[in-house]
Amino acid sequence: MTRLFHLLIGLLAAFILAPIVVVVVASFSARTVPEFPPSQWSFRWYEHALNQAIFVNSAVNSLWLAAVATLLATPLALAVAYAIVRGRFPGRDALQTFLLAPLIVPSIVIGLSILLALATLGVRDIGLRLVGAHVLITFPYLVRTIMASLVRLDPMIEEAARTLGAPPLRTFLSITLPLVRPGIIAGMLFAFIVSFDNVSLSLFLTNARTNTLPLAILSYLEFNFDPSIAAISTMLVVLSLTIAVVLERVVGLRKVVGA
Amino acid sequence: MLKTRTGILLLAPAIVLMVALLVLPVGYLIRFSFYLGQTGVQTSGGFTFANYVRLFGDGFYLAILWKTLWVSFVVTVVSAITGYPLAHFMWKAAKRWRAPFTILVLSPLLVSIVISSYGWIVILGNNGVVNQLLQFLGLTTAPVKLMYTNFAIVVGLVHIVTPFMVLSILAALEKIDPLLNEAAATLGANRFRTLWHIILPLALPGIGAGTTIVFCLAISAYVTPAVMGGSGPNFITTLIYHQFVTLFNWPFGATVAAVLLAVALTVVFLYVRVLSRLGAAAPAAR
Repeated sequence: MTRLFHLLIGLLAAFILAPIVVVVVASFSARTVPEFPPSQWSFRWYEHALNQAIFVNSAVNSLWLAAVATLLATPLALAVAYAIVRGRFPGRDALQTFLLAPLIVPSIVIGLSILLALATLGVRDIGLRLVGAHVLITFPYLVRTIMASLVRLDPMIEEAARTLGAPPLRTFLSITLPLVRPGIIAGMLFAFIVSFDNVSLSLFLTNARTNTLPLAILSYLEFNFDPSIAAISTMLVVLSLTIAVVLERVVGLRKVVGA
Repeated sequence: MLKTRTGILLLAPAIVLMVALLVLPVGYLIRFSFYLGQTGVQTSGGFTFANYVRLFGDGFYLAILWKTLWVSFVVTVVSAITGYPLAHFMWKAAKRWRAPFTILVLSPLLVSIVISSYGWIVILGNNGVVNQLLQFLGLTTAPVKLMYTNFAIVVGLVHIVTPFMVLSILAALEKIDPLLNEAAATLGANRFRTLWHIILPLALPGIGAGTTIVFCLAISAYVTPAVMGGSGPNFITTLIYHQFVTLFNWPFGATVAAVLLAVALTVVFLYVRVLSRLGAAAPAAR
C-alpha cells in the first residue's frame, strides 16, 4: 500500500516537473525544432535568443516594471498590513476582504477595465498604465506576507519601547520594521515574480513596441517554434527557482503564497 | 493599539488605489457593456441590453461559454483527485522531504505559464514526447492528436492550479489532531476506514476552498486556452481578447468580461454561503 502510494506521488511529481524539465533539456537542441532528448546538443539557441532585440528589450521592460511596481506597492502594503494587524476598528474583516479583491476578480477583467478607463480618460502612456496595474496585482500578495510576519510579532515588544518613551514612529522604525524585515523581503521577491510573469493583465495594456517578456514570448510562439524560446525559458526558470529556494530558506514559501 | 486617525491615514493610500484602479474601472466596464459598440472606446446609441441578448442568443457564443464551464469543471475535479494525495504526502512526509516538495508543488506558480505551455507543446505535439513514445511502443502508427484539444487545455490547467489545490487541502489537514488517527486505530479502524471516515471529512473545508479557487482560476485563464486550445476564440477569455483586440468591439468584449466576473463572484459567494452553513452546523454535529 505505502509503495503504491509512493508510486502515485512519484507520478504526480513527474507530471508537475514534466513541462519544465522538457523545456530546459530541449533548450540545448542543435536543430531548429525543440527535441527531447536532443539528437545533437548545442548552445546556439541561447546565442540566438540573446541576439534578438525583442527579447532583450522586453526583458529590460519586464525587469523595470516588476522592480518599480514592487517598490511602489511595498510601502502601501506595509501601511495596510500594520493598520489591519494592530488596529481595532469596525469593518476590519470586510476591509481585509476588500483589499484582497484583486485576487478574486479575474485579472483579465482588471486589465480590461484599466484599459477602458484610461483610454476614456485619454491616458495613453503605456508605462504609467502598466505600473498602475502591476501595483494593484502585487499589492495583495505583499499585504498577506507582511501580515503573516506582523501577526507573529509580540505587540508587547512595541509596547515596551513606548513605555520607555519612544514615540510611535521611532518605535515603528527601530523595533517593528527590523523585526518584520524578512517578511517584507519575502513579499517583495514574490511580488517581483508575480509581476514579472504576468500575462493576462499586461495583455491589454501593452502594444507591439512596448512589450513585456512573457507577452513577447507569447507572440513569438504564434509564428515560431524554434528552441530560442526554450533557451529564454531556461534562464527564467533558473531565476525563479533561485528566488524560490531563497524564499523557502528565509521565511518558508508557504507563508508567502498564503493558503 | 493604533489611534483611529493613524489607522485611517495608513489605509487611505491603498483604498484610494483600489477605488481608482479597481472599483471605478470595473464599474465603468459593466456600464460600458450596456452600450452598442462602434470602434474601440466609441459607442453608439443609448442604454441597451442588446449585447447580452446577442451573447446569450447566439449558439456560437453559448458553445464557448458552455465549453469554458465544462472544461473548468473537469479541471476542478481532476485537480482535487490529484491534489489530495500530494497534500496528504506533504502532511505525513518526513521533515527532509518537506522543503523540496514545497518547491516542487509550487513550481507551476513560480515558473511563467508561458513557459509551461511551451513545454506542453513539446510533450503533447504531433512529434512530441508522448507521440514518439506511443509510436516506439508500437501502440500507434500515425501521431495521435493531443495538442489543440480540450484534453490539452485540461492538462495545462490542472498543472497550473495544482499549487492552489494542494496548499488549500494541506492547510485543512494540518488542523487535524494527530491523536484522532491513533484513536481510530485503537478502536480497530484500518487505514482506509480512518481515511474515509475521519480524515476526508475533516479535509473537506480545504477541498472546498481549493475547488473554489481552482474553478475561478480555470474560467479566467487566458494563456493555456490561447496556446494549447488551437486557433480562434475557444474559451471565454480568448473570446474577450478576440472582441477587444481583433474585432475592436469593446462594449461586446466588456459584456463577455462582465459575465466572466459574474460567474467568478457567484462561485465565491456560493462557497462563502456553504462555508457559513457548515460553520453554523458544526457545533450541533459535535
